[in-house]
Amino acid sequence: MPKITIDGKTVECRENIPVLRAALEAGFEVPHYCYHPGLSVVASCRLCLMQMKMPHPKTKELDWAPKLFPSCQTPVKDGMEVKFDSQLVHNNTNHVMEYYLINHPLDCPVCDKAGECYLQDYTEDYGPATSRMVEEKNKNPKKDIGSQTLLYQDRCVLCTRCVRFTQEVAGTSELTVINRGNRGEIDVFPGEPLENPLQANVVDICPVGALLDKNFLFQQRVWLLKPTKSVSPADARGSTVYIDVNDDRVWRIRPRFNEKVNEWWISDESRFSWQHVHSPDRLNIPMIREESALRPTRWPVVQEQIRAQLNTVASDGGSRVAIVLSPMMSCEEAWLLASFVRQSAPQATFVIGYVPVEGTDQTFPKGFVISAEKCPNRRGVETVIEQAGGPSASWDEFLTKAGGGEYRFALVTGGYPKAWIDSTLADTLRKIETVVLHDVWASALDDHLWLQLPSATWVEREGSFMNADGLVQPFDRALKPLDGVVGDGQFYYELAGHQGLFRSRKVRELMAAELPTFGEVFVPREEPEYAH
Amino acid sequence: MAYDKVLLKRVGTPNSVSIDTYKADGGYQGLAAALKMQPGELVDLVKGANLRGRGGAGFPAGVKWSFLPPDREVTYLCINADESEPPTFSNRVLMEEDPHQVIEGVIIAGYATRTTTAYIYMRGEFTEQYHVMQKAVDEAYAAGYLGENIQGSGWSMNLYVHRGAGAYVCGEETGLIESLEGKRGWPRIKPPFPAVEGAFRKPTVVNNIETVACLPHILSRGMDWWKSVGPEHSLGPKLFCISGAVNRPGCYEAPCTITMRDLIYDDAFGGGMRDGKKCKAVFPGGLSMGVLRGDTFPQRPAGSKIDLSEDHDELDCILDFEDIKQYGMLGLGTAAAVVVPEDVDIRDVLVNTCRFYAHESCGQCTQCREGTGWMYSIAKRIRAGAGRSVDLDLIEELTNNMGMMPGMSICGLPDGAAWPIRTLVQKFRAEFESYIAQQHAGSVEETIRRVNPAAYELPILGGRQMAPAT
Amino acid sequence: MSWNAIDRKTVPAEEMGPGISEATKEKIRSFFPRYPSKQACMLPALHIAQDELGYVSLQAMRDIAQVLELPPAAVMDVVSFYTHFWTHPRGEKMLMLCRSLTCELLGSEKLRARIEEKLGIGDHETTPDGKFSFMTEECLAACDHGPCLMVNEKMHKCVSVEDVDRILDDPASDRLDIPRSDTYDAPPKA
Repeated sequence: MPKITIDGKTVECRENIPVLRAALEAGFEVPHYCYHPGLSVVASCRLCLMQMKMPHPKTKELDWAPKLFPSCQTPVKDGMEVKFDSQLVHNNTNHVMEYYLINHPLDCPVCDKAGECYLQDYTEDYGPATSRMVEEKNKNPKKDIGSQTLLYQDRCVLCTRCVRFTQEVAGTSELTVINRGNRGEIDVFPGEPLENPLQANVVDICPVGALLDKNFLFQQRVWLLKPTKSVSPADARGSTVYIDVNDDRVWRIRPRFNEKVNEWWISDESRFSWQHVHSPDRLNIPMIREESALRPTRWPVVQEQIRAQLNTVASDGGSRVAIVLSPMMSCEEAWLLASFVRQSAPQATFVIGYVPVEGTDQTFPKGFVISAEKCPNRRGVETVIEQAGGPSASWDEFLTKAGGGEYRFALVTGGYPKAWIDSTLADTLRKIETVVLHDVWASALDDHLWLQLPSATWVEREGSFMNADGLVQPFDRALKPLDGVVGDGQFYYELAGHQGLFRSRKVRELMAAELPTFGEVFVPREEPEYAH
Repeated sequence: MAYDKVLLKRVGTPNSVSIDTYKADGGYQGLAAALKMQPGELVDLVKGANLRGRGGAGFPAGVKWSFLPPDREVTYLCINADESEPPTFSNRVLMEEDPHQVIEGVIIAGYATRTTTAYIYMRGEFTEQYHVMQKAVDEAYAAGYLGENIQGSGWSMNLYVHRGAGAYVCGEETGLIESLEGKRGWPRIKPPFPAVEGAFRKPTVVNNIETVACLPHILSRGMDWWKSVGPEHSLGPKLFCISGAVNRPGCYEAPCTITMRDLIYDDAFGGGMRDGKKCKAVFPGGLSMGVLRGDTFPQRPAGSKIDLSEDHDELDCILDFEDIKQYGMLGLGTAAAVVVPEDVDIRDVLVNTCRFYAHESCGQCTQCREGTGWMYSIAKRIRAGAGRSVDLDLIEELTNNMGMMPGMSICGLPDGAAWPIRTLVQKFRAEFESYIAQQHAGSVEETIRRVNPAAYELPILGGRQMAPAT
Repeated sequence: MSWNAIDRKTVPAEEMGPGISEATKEKIRSFFPRYPSKQACMLPALHIAQDELGYVSLQAMRDIAQVLELPPAAVMDVVSFYTHFWTHPRGEKMLMLCRSLTCELLGSEKLRARIEEKLGIGDHETTPDGKFSFMTEECLAACDHGPCLMVNEKMHKCVSVEDVDRILDDPASDRLDIPRSDTYDAPPKA
């Protein structure tokens, strides 16, 4: 590992990274716009310039070179010495910040980026307090460039991150720079809008408020949002995300850096996968069939009823009992439910629930993958089922047997982002005498259900998902469950006879005794504080 | 001044553009001599000749060639004919009047660098010159100087003329390469330098037209002749352009020993000022190198040192690659002088200069993109009679942080913009101040919005007009 | 949803303008052997397209993108960077007036005023009859003969105000007196 000296402090850094990155990783704040670790280096914003010791052209002695070097473009070399904290560097930053604001509309009060805008931050930290530009500012048009994004060209600093993103990561090259010099603008070819499955990432990498998310436009001030670390349930990749919440409501989802899975990006599916959380159609009261109608009940009653019913139908060991574990469940929930059922019904059939698949995996130029499997935890649930032992069945096998009337009792879990039980499926499940459905949505099967239990969405739960590569990643709870809903984890925790609060970490410790895979979860590296 | 012209010898002679007259005048002899040598020997020869690049930066051509990786498989040679620096036209004269001299030089440079494909990147404004060059290239192909197995040497090279479309920044070598590759002419970050990774990501040499035009003469006339022309650090014949308010504007050839005063007043060159006026200012090396005070200023007392803060006549500046720096110039540049006569308002010169760079800045580096536009606005306001002393300080400060020294930005354009604007403001400060002193109170506030109105809805493509007249 | 935003997602068919002919596409393809990449044929392609249509329409950009196997945005990027390419129709004769320092010192502003007065058009505009378009240019590299005015390919040197009238009236003001090369021209119409 090369050692370099930054502002008199010697730090060890990774090989083959630019000095800028090394400085950020060592905890130095270095302003920068155009540099992004996931994109090619263009060194055009000229904010990250540094002083560097170079051999004097005549004496060959090492001394501070009179000019400044772009730290994003200079690779680290063992023994090099650089300086960010110097008058020369500060002068440069100060001037560049002044340039950025000469044509900027200063419309922070109505800008969604305000609060997480690096034009604001750097101006406060490095820029001049006033502008010496007395001329009128240029006004650029606002452009509707895609289904998810708007471009406010006025605020653009022409760092070209978004352009490079569409060229290098998405590989679709919709965005480009047009015109020359200070007339430069970001644009799309008319009629060829920014439409790719990763498009909204340009909003995240825009260091200023130029590219905006239409879904988030004028919704919230970002300083009110509380981020929660989570994992996207949108596909089997398990992209790590932040869920930004305020006032008991999710406002947006942002990517959370993950060196093993999604790096700095997420798909739009992941980004907008929270919309159903606030759907007015969600179930929120547990219901039980009484005198041929579903009537509201209480959660403790539900538990007693299930235990009693299971004891009855599983008197033979449970050979006519099916437990459908949805791939939307967390590993912990699946394990709690499975271990509870195995106690009373060792012959019950565990079924891996419906796995939604759309098309084939999509791989992008720099290796980002959108999985065709639109659920987060098939592998985790399968692992749990395998470990639990006893009979198991695939979804298709289950349907065949259910259609043949082989089951008397089934507990079916759902949790999909949209209603998934169509009339055909409902007709099949109707062949089962007693059905418990733990799901988010009402369905065509409601008239047959014995118990209808409202499920919490992943935003309201905590636990871990095992992604398609077998990586177990934990996610936190961002919201408390909808009024009337008990978190799925809590429900199975109590059902399995535990007392107190369900904590996924505690459950994972219990699980680890049987399943070492879950003993250690993968938590991605944090991006350095000053990187963006 | 007795000087035997070499590069311009055939200019103005009948049918100078044809290969027949060129060969009759001893053309393609240098190539014959070159093909007898090994490419490596040729590189050493040119290195020994210290042939400094004529494009503006003065980097030795032989040294540039020697940066090519020895184990390369493909080499591209780009000849820079994107002569966009105002007021330079020496390349135009060479291509228009003696295209085969250029082509011979290209072939020699190609042989020395083991090139297989060479491009002449010619600016889009060159139309007649393009037709002349294209015809000459066709002739050279027909005569076996280009194409397969050139003159039986076993070495093959193709040469294509590639036309630009109006962008000053494409004269920067990596801007040129990007443009050649079919992209916007945004200069690349260096390293890697073109010699290692240039056009199409392969080792590439970019040489100026005038530089390669010297090559046939080095070979045919020999090193002794070459070293006898000009001072040690600026060897060889050099083309000087002079334009503006002089009697004989034109392109002249001389060793690098003449002074600015010679270039303006000598009958062999500029032939004196038009209408007997005095010279107020002169840009000696193309716009980008900075401005010299003319003879409307008093002579420097004999024996005193050069002091740029004093308003003295600076025409005694020697036009070589080094002396010129004493006068606050960035370098010799393209050695193209424009003479500003005494009756021109220096504010007009400032506006014109600022406008040029604001129009031509490529828009990558922040300082250059925003700074050039800002200075243009300020300059327009000063011209409109609404300047402030603080504006002059501001311009000086902006130029200082834009181009404090070469190498702070991706390419040299901001340096080239900073130097003339800064030297104009510094050296002619008294004149600017005198205009400001004549303004009436409140003129600044009245004028700001009139001169630099906000451009609402800057044009975008499709339907609307494209670029506003900056 | 937002303050007035220009819709860039759709484009009316009439704004797309005319496309380039098959013969022009073939001509562009004839440049392929010159370069190791198809993209490098961009500038020749745009010159040839502009020669055929008089300007580079959005449809022409799309066509070129298809020939060069590039996203159309990459073509638009290049078109907008270089000053010679027009994205709106040009007149038969393109007047390019040099406005650089030498020419300005020698009176190009007066020429500009005369042209604008006589034709009634400003920078980057075209006369209603489609005969003339006008634009100013940075240095045309003929400073020894300033002020200069180019009419299509023909450079007029040492132009005076009186010369402007003569040049505008002369139907042959754009004729070259040297042999032309048609390498960069669009193929003649069938």
